[in-house]
Amino acid sequence: MKYYNLLVTEWLKFRKNAVVSLLGIMFLVFMPTSIFIGKEFKNVPPQLPNNSIFFEFPSMWSYLGYVGNWLVFFFIGLMVIYMITSEVGYKTMRQNIISGYTRHDFYMSKMTSTIVLCLFVTFMYAVIGLGIGLWHTEGADLAYAFDNNWAIPRFFLMSLGYCSIGFFIAFLLRRSGIAVMFYLSYVILVEIILRWGVHGKMMGFKNSSINYYPANSFEDLMPNPLFRYAEAIPMEDLDFDFLLTYGQAAISSVIYISIFFGLSYFMFLKRDI
Amino acid sequence: MIALSINNLSKSYGRIKAVQGLNLEIEKGTIYGLLGPNGSGKTTTLGMILDIIKPDQGTYQWFEGKYGDYHRKKVGAILETPNFYPYLDATENLKIVDQIKGGKRNNFDDLLELVNLLHRKKSKFRAYSLGMKQRLAIAATLLGDPEVLIFDEPTNGLDPQGIAEVRNVMTEIASMGKTVLLASHILHEVEKICDHVAIIKNGKLLATGLVGSILSDDITIEVGSHDLDQLATVLSDFSNIENLSRKNTWLECTIPSDTNVEELNKFLFSKGIVTNHFVSRKRKLEEEFLEITKE
Repeated sequence: MKYYNLLVTEWLKFRKNAVVSLLGIMFLVFMPTSIFIGKEFKNVPPQLPNNSIFFEFPSMWSYLGYVGNWLVFFFIGLMVIYMITSEVGYKTMRQNIISGYTRHDFYMSKMTSTIVLCLFVTFMYAVIGLGIGLWHTEGADLAYAFDNNWAIPRFFLMSLGYCSIGFFIAFLLRRSGIAVMFYLSYVILVEIILRWGVHGKMMGFKNSSINYYPANSFEDLMPNPLFRYAEAIPMEDLDFDFLLTYGQAAISSVIYISIFFGLSYFMFLKRDI
Repeated sequence: MIALSINNLSKSYGRIKAVQGLNLEIEKGTIYGLLGPNGSGKTTTLGMILDIIKPDQGTYQWFEGKYGDYHRKKVGAILETPNFYPYLDATENLKIVDQIKGGKRNNFDDLLELVNLLHRKKSKFRAYSLGMKQRLAIAATLLGDPEVLIFDEPTNGLDPQGIAEVRNVMTEIASMGKTVLLASHILHEVEKICDHVAIIKNGKLLATGLVGSILSDDITIEVGSHDLDQLATVLSDFSNIENLSRKNTWLECTIPSDTNVEELNKFLFSKGIVTNHFVSRKRKLEEEFLEITKE
């Protein structure tokens, strides 16, 4: 009941917020439509039979998942950052505490709404994926669609992973603009420089530890499916793993998610608001 | 019952000691003024007892621990500025506060009526004037039937009409029998509304007690004549004259309450002084405040 009330309060806060609405609508529009860009790829790489693999079960889950990977990172990650930092900007974070929330309550209101948001985007991934797959796969039924399907839990973990980075950065930096800049630049640029420019040079590019970075772990839960084909190509000069296995990525992600949520909690409890 | 007890509370920001070893007890039902110049540590103190600022040392306890961690649900407070979601209207914002306090209200018209905002209840918070924002914040403090109300500089930045409106609402709330803690640097505001006062400066508690007990019994005399230098010389010969100072066109001094003012007037006349201004009055809190807080 308590967590339900926390969620209701979050809903009351943001249901009429233009930024949250816009980010949500853009995610919901781009998620089903972006995959259809695949229709424009008439000449696919020789390893692929044709562009129908973008839309048919079971490969569709990977391609739609990769589209979702970018969309969640961008729209949902930014939404989580905004839902925390806007409360600092409007000084409603401190007012919520003054009005009666404990710090634990406020933190849990943000954490539970982040988890619910990730469940919602995962649900949308499942529904949209099911729709596209059933439409394009001849003779497919629900049993076939969900047969040994770990893509949906992986998508959820990936969403929670990106959101946990945003969550941590938002509690750390507190200012919307700086937090958004840091989040985008970390995932797109900083981590890649750290991996390849620093870690790779120090430990060697063939050292698999290079892949165990937060954003890379989350990304490898729903990676670019073409990387799997690339891995199959024997290249002596490039004898290293492009991707973590799903199991490695999942374990690494759970650890990072716990660290990000845990650090945010202790930081929020200790600091002045 | 003790509504709030503060024990040795301290907070520093680098080298600046914002609050130093503050001790205070506020009994239920009192209207308590926290008086101090700007930067004296009033807001820091309130921030600490409302758990938005972490104290370096010391403790505080609300309602003798009766409500545990959820004591703030029984406190309505405005700290510095009114803080609401700018894209929501008055009712939607009050609904959020009510939800946080664990209330089940759906109608807030009575509160909006009390603060004279009922006609603007559908306007977005960002469209409100500062006075309206402050009045909405006062309405929010009343949600959840709080036992204690805290107002931090509630008339700051308001125009004269806004100040009058906010003061009227505060006086009305005070008459409801709630415990009120009013932090202000405006002395006559505290003097008008509060029955108890604590004076702080540089984070230290300088004096505390009933407003009447803080005010000394001394009488302030304002006296003027055409030659203020001669008047000052003559006045200094009168027994028990203290704090003699020159104002614009008259001199001001204090005499003990048992001194006959008529005797002073007679004394001046006997020395050839004809006064053109003579006022006898009790000392104001402002004068007491300046006396207490002077370096």
